Amino acid sequence: MTLGKLVLRNITRRRGRFVFTLLGITIGIASFVTFLSLGGSLKAEIHRESAALGANLVVTPKGSCAYEQVSILTGEQLPTTITAEEVARIRAIEGITAIPYLTERTAVDNRPVTVLGILPDETKSFKGWQVARGAYLDTSTESQAVVGSVLAAQFGLEPGSFLTIRGERLPVRGVLGETGSKDDLTVFLPLSLAQRLYGQGELVSFVAVRVDDINRVESYALKITEAVNLGVVSDKQMLKSVLSIIGTVNVTLQLIAAVAILAAAFGIINTMMTATYERKREIGILQALGARRRTIFAVFLLESAVYGLLGGLSGAFGGLLFSALAAPHISQNTFTAFVKGSGSAGLADPGIIFGAIAFSAVVAVAAGVYPAWRAARLSPVEAISYE
Amino acid sequence: MNDIIIRTENLAKTYGTGAAASHALRGVSTVIPRGSFTCIVGPSGHGKSTLMHLLGGLDRPSSGSVQIDGVELTRLDSSSLARLRAGKIGFVFQFFNLLRNLTAAENVETAMMLSGVPERQQAARAREMLAQVGLAEKAGARPSELSGGQQQRVAIARALINDPDILLMDEPTGNLDSTAEAEIMEILHTLHGRGKTIVLVTHNDGIARQAQQVIRVQDGRIFT
Repeated sequence: MTLGKLVLRNITRRRGRFVFTLLGITIGIASFVTFLSLGGSLKAEIHRESAALGANLVVTPKGSCAYEQVSILTGEQLPTTITAEEVARIRAIEGITAIPYLTERTAVDNRPVTVLGILPDETKSFKGWQVARGAYLDTSTESQAVVGSVLAAQFGLEPGSFLTIRGERLPVRGVLGETGSKDDLTVFLPLSLAQRLYGQGELVSFVAVRVDDINRVESYALKITEAVNLGVVSDKQMLKSVLSIIGTVNVTLQLIAAVAILAAAFGIINTMMTATYERKREIGILQALGARRRTIFAVFLLESAVYGLLGGLSGAFGGLLFSALAAPHISQNTFTAFVKGSGSAGLADPGIIFGAIAFSAVVAVAAGVYPAWRAARLSPVEAISYE
Repeated sequence: MNDIIIRTENLAKTYGTGAAASHALRGVSTVIPRGSFTCIVGPSGHGKSTLMHLLGGLDRPSSGSVQIDGVELTRLDSSSLARLRAGKIGFVFQFFNLLRNLTAAENVETAMMLSGVPERQQAARAREMLAQVGLAEKAGARPSELSGGQQQRVAIARALINDPDILLMDEPTGNLDSTAEAEIMEILHTLHGRGKTIVLVTHNDGIARQAQQVIRVQDGRIFT
């Protein structure tokens, strides 16, 4: 016999209670891991989208806030107020490459899809796209589209098939090579076609700017603000503000999960308190056999720790499984578009797994301290005389 | 039988205070020689079990002293008392007090674990001890699968496994039929023959007559 064996025998003697207590901590930890995992994926995706945008500066309508910056990265609709004249003034500044975009939405098979109006050749060169199948947008004709690789696979779009956008039937000329960004989920139209279909005249949503000299980003930003009355944000600032929003969302979700874990901790306290009453006589027997107070304390504390460890393990893997299964079904919005796009949610992050298990064990041990203390301070004669 | 293994002086135990005070023991002074077979007898509620608990260090007296092999128990902290119980005293109770979720062998092994016997030595020693009380074939049985007499024999095996000098037994046959009682008494006589000090609380005059020394407890006082 060892203390460990005694502990395992004790916690499994009432299987129903064992399972339900374990379920409590499992659910708490699973929700924690799910939120951490999805949050981690969101952050990773934001970094990836920021890199995929390929811009050092982004020009947005005046007064744009962090929400619009998120929308640029996710492909959500934006206020379209930047005029062709303003675009021309930006593009006239030497030492930069400025690419205008019109961001709109359409539906394919009743599912929302991002539509991006682009300058075909310049954007291709700016983003370094490859064409996987078919051909790229032809500058000689307007009525055409190319699609991202994931979108093509999702909706069975291939070169030669057709897309109907705003009532206009457009031939799909080609499918872009996989980029690992939201571009894989986007329909690309020539800018003029998108502006016509969506009635935007010559307006665009934002302008992505790449500077020739990375050390002079700030001075280029100044030049742009001097040339046009628009907002200019650097990729780093944009990343920072978007991550700050995501961070707030993550903290909120983690707080909700923490409440679930706290509830589970009280479940453990309840189970262990019940155990100290039920096993009062047994505590007395152990004391008569020579168990010291610290041994009784250790037995009860270890029982709590086992709940924490097992609950942490099952919760961590349950959470990862849930986040992997749930990610593709999360409805697309500004925050979850990243997750859906990449399918990388639920990837096993050892830090999250070990952190969750350790956290669960620590919470369970903390929850077990009071019941263990109560058990250890029982007088032997009081315990052994308990009926 | 010349030297004294247990000595009490003016031992008193009072429960509650003031008008609600209940005097379970009042100034008990006695000695129990090493290797003796002593019975504590008396009516229910007159302090027999209290005396046994104090002799075994399970409870602390309100005043007076208890010495085991010259060691004053009232001066020991709870940890030292536990160590003394693990090594020097074996307890047997009327209702067996086996750990019900463990097998007979595991009950015996638990007593060894608490006195620091390495796990690898426990199984063989537990089986050997169970064989000595005639339960070799029941080593894997849980208490619920054993008769009262068998459970009490497991309890005796558990009490003996750390080779204590003293066996303190509270009505060990009080819950058994006459056949099981005879079996237990036979074991106790064998143990006594091997030099163990046996202190047994009983209501049974027949058992008391078999003792070398009888301590009568009435109204918290003793009459030897």
